[in-house]
Amino acid sequence: MLLCFLGMLLLTSCGEKKEAGVTTIRFVTWKPNQPEAWDEIFRIFHQENPAIMVQAETGPHSSTAFHDLLTQKLKNRSKDADVFLMDVIWTAEFAAAGWAEPLDKVMPQTERDRFIRSAIVANTYDGLLYGIPLFIDSGVLFYRKDLLAKYGFYPPRTWDELVHQARTITAGEAAEAREISGFSGQFKQYEGLVCNMLEYLLGNGGDILSPVSGRAAIAEQPSVDAVRFVRDSIIGGIAPKGVLTYQEPESLDLFLQGRAVFLRSWPYAWEIANDPARSQIAGKVALAKLPHFAGGKSYATLGGWQVGISAFSQKKEAAGIFARFLGSERTQKILALRAGRAPTRTALYTDAEVLAANPHFSDMKEVFLSAYPRPRSPLYPALSNILQRYFSKAISDRNSDIQREAEEATGEIDRLLSLTP
Amino acid sequence: MHGQPVRLRVVRLSLLTRERVFAAALLFPGLLLVVIFAFYPILYSFYLSLHRIILGLPGLGQPFVGLRNYADLLHDRIALHALANTLLFVLSSTLLEVMFGLCIALVMNRHFRGRGFLRASILVPWAIPTVVSSQMWRFIFHDKYGLLNFILFGPDISRYQAWLAAPSIAFAAIVTADVWKTSSFAALLILAGLQTIPDDLYEAARIDGASAWQQFRKITLPLVRPALLVALLFRTMDAFRVFDLVFVMTQGGPADSTNVLQFYGYKKIFAEGLMGYGSTVSVLVFLVTFVTAMVYLRLLGKGMFGNPA
Amino acid sequence: MKKTLFFSAAFLIVWLSLLPFLWFLATSLKTEVEITAIPPVLLPSATLHFYRTSIEQYDLLHYAKNSVIVAGLTTCITLSVSLFAGYALARLRLRAKGLILGCLLMVSMFPQISIAGPVWRILQSLGWLNSYQGLILPYVTLTLPLGIWIVASFFRELPAELEDAARVDGCGHLQTLFRVMLPLAAPGIFTAAILIFIYAWNEFLFALLIMTQQDYQTLPVGIALFQGQYTLPWGEIAAASTIATVPLVILVFFFQKRIIRGLSAGAIKG
Repeated sequence: MLLCFLGMLLLTSCGEKKEAGVTTIRFVTWKPNQPEAWDEIFRIFHQENPAIMVQAETGPHSSTAFHDLLTQKLKNRSKDADVFLMDVIWTAEFAAAGWAEPLDKVMPQTERDRFIRSAIVANTYDGLLYGIPLFIDSGVLFYRKDLLAKYGFYPPRTWDELVHQARTITAGEAAEAREISGFSGQFKQYEGLVCNMLEYLLGNGGDILSPVSGRAAIAEQPSVDAVRFVRDSIIGGIAPKGVLTYQEPESLDLFLQGRAVFLRSWPYAWEIANDPARSQIAGKVALAKLPHFAGGKSYATLGGWQVGISAFSQKKEAAGIFARFLGSERTQKILALRAGRAPTRTALYTDAEVLAANPHFSDMKEVFLSAYPRPRSPLYPALSNILQRYFSKAISDRNSDIQREAEEATGEIDRLLSLTP
Repeated sequence: MHGQPVRLRVVRLSLLTRERVFAAALLFPGLLLVVIFAFYPILYSFYLSLHRIILGLPGLGQPFVGLRNYADLLHDRIALHALANTLLFVLSSTLLEVMFGLCIALVMNRHFRGRGFLRASILVPWAIPTVVSSQMWRFIFHDKYGLLNFILFGPDISRYQAWLAAPSIAFAAIVTADVWKTSSFAALLILAGLQTIPDDLYEAARIDGASAWQQFRKITLPLVRPALLVALLFRTMDAFRVFDLVFVMTQGGPADSTNVLQFYGYKKIFAEGLMGYGSTVSVLVFLVTFVTAMVYLRLLGKGMFGNPA
Repeated sequence: MKKTLFFSAAFLIVWLSLLPFLWFLATSLKTEVEITAIPPVLLPSATLHFYRTSIEQYDLLHYAKNSVIVAGLTTCITLSVSLFAGYALARLRLRAKGLILGCLLMVSMFPQISIAGPVWRILQSLGWLNSYQGLILPYVTLTLPLGIWIVASFFRELPAELEDAARVDGCGHLQTLFRVMLPLAAPGIFTAAILIFIYAWNEFLFALLIMTQQDYQTLPVGIALFQGQYTLPWGEIAAASTIATVPLVILVFFFQKRIIRGLSAGAIKG
């Protein structure tokens, strides 16, 4: 379907090149889960802007692979990328490297005020806006409402409660010869591991970088305790060992097959988990805020994708029109209705249609609004690799000396950050 | 009488010169490519490794830092760990490959029906793209759908293991995938060596009443040793280049247990944008490989360079 | 007893060599339900579903086309360059022959990462990233040692009398090469072609770095990056892997003797 559409795009663009006044811009995006939503977005844009032709190029839909591809293009000052999608963690890097164009003119202050604040902050570097938030992601807890009800539980508020519930349900189901794990999440050595671990750290009053000094805070007591909890009670307790190799698809897969009580994932999973064609637990799923530790507060990692414009684009005006269109309420509504993506514009959280399609949005609004960003640094990719290594080492080995590993990683992070001016 | 031989000599010389010029012309395109895309890049890598170049911070410029990057490398415990992983990978995979290769070669050296099929079969792993074999083995080691769990535990899914989740097993998995893929290459080189052993040696040994094991120890092993060394050399050089397996199967994890130098260098240069420091890592890879190759060539003697006609 | 032992060893070798591939082949012919069954289902219901989806949704044929172009052209160019160089090294008098052979041997052992960054920069300055020539030239360089080595070893085996006869007939070097030597060395050239093709078809790191645009990516890159952020396309990966592997399996079964000959020629002094 999408292919046909892209094919048509190419054909028409070839045909129309001869006509005067048609500008072709290249849009670097990933392969969407629900191509229909994007087909509609492209169609509307072309109807309303016949003078601009958008050629979509799809990259791999894994943040890391997409990052490597896109930055290769930008390092190459390539002209075949005018508009692109950015993961929320790339803004600082793209801005500092001079790859992304400031968008303050495209998106004036009055418009910006209509967005969720943390999403705008995440896209701001040195006082300038470099990305228009397209949709927001934040860590959420999915659970089997049928099973929790069966054992008389409410959604867990603390991690200890969650562990207790998971153990009770796993044991109870095992007695009836049903194999089920307590928890599923993303703990492979990759970016998602940082997202997952950040939530435990914050929920215990820890952090990756200290908000005060800007230096690494992973070796401080709350952070170390949170990591130890993950190693002993999650990996060594209620989750199957396999989670150490899981990214989003594998962790969701376990849940969809009815083989996990809890799943930490992103809002996109709601749509799939309730689709009877792909899920054995459709209708038995509910969503909650992530738990926290006793005395802590619940936090979710901020994720999501932004629209950016290449500093090397030769067609910045047309690119700006398209980027603004992508950030518009209309586009976000289509993505919310057709693809279950959480909007970045606050107004859509009171939109009746959006809420009808995504009843969980009204409950989750608070989570989305308060989602916590990962550190903003032009050297984020290097920082993230240090964190991935540290977290993976700390949780994969039962006997790891977490404190020592944390201190080593702290030294590496502080050395790295000292490079930035 | 005097002029004749002198003229002849001049003609001969110019013939030789012409042949040399012609030969140089024939070699020129190949050597040009090799210089542009192999030797110049090595020198360029070394040049880059003497600078601090951070693509994400163009404001810093590209200052010359001398051997600072190398000093940093000595204190980079992640790089040292990757170096240790690489050496362990090279050592374990090549030894296993040559061992299995020898077994396969001994079987192939016999004449029997179906030998052609056997030969083609062992070439299949060698021919498969490494990316494909990596995906294959990732799936075989899968914690739920994997063949390995099924073979070991059958339908008892409660005993299924997440192989790639345990650091040491994940490392062993990568070695396994490599051994599976390239043992046949070692086997072919060893087989070529086996076939040079004259049959009458065995004949004579049999008449003297030597057992099969004695024949193997006293005849096969010593005579096949050069071939074994060549196989080791080629496998070692190739094992240093391991990248695809790590990229597809583990991305260096878990706990950095499968992070090898090639992958670390790739991450530094292309994902983190640390061009200068990443180049230092790549120079290290080159030096380690080079030194190893020199040691092997020493062992093998000059025979490796062939005997130009 | 000894015979049984021998044949069971042979059987084990064949089985271990083929099993992993057969398992993936079976996977590619399964349905989604069969792939995600726990415990695994051994025999597929032989549906081509994943072949269709990998072609329609993952652009498989596009990757295959790029692989054919890159591997095909690499083979042709490397062969012609090796032909000249191999002839010069095998049959002509030349200074520094040992040095040149040593350098070639060294190139064949270069770790790719040691040259990847600079090669990337060179291609960038030429504007050749995301172009066929941008990938083919490095491939030609990296396969040249193999090509020259094999071709030279075949040339070396031809009797010198043939050449002398051609000279007496008044052929120049070039004519001797094309009229006399080339036809006789054809089997060697063909052998080299197979090995070069397989190398170029399988290479991953350079393809990953140089081809950032989907339009130009080769099969290994496609297969490595199929894994999406939110999807787990094992069926499509298996189908694409099968398509990438089948041509090689056919080559191997038809030309096993040549391949073996070529691999040993590359290694054993000859």
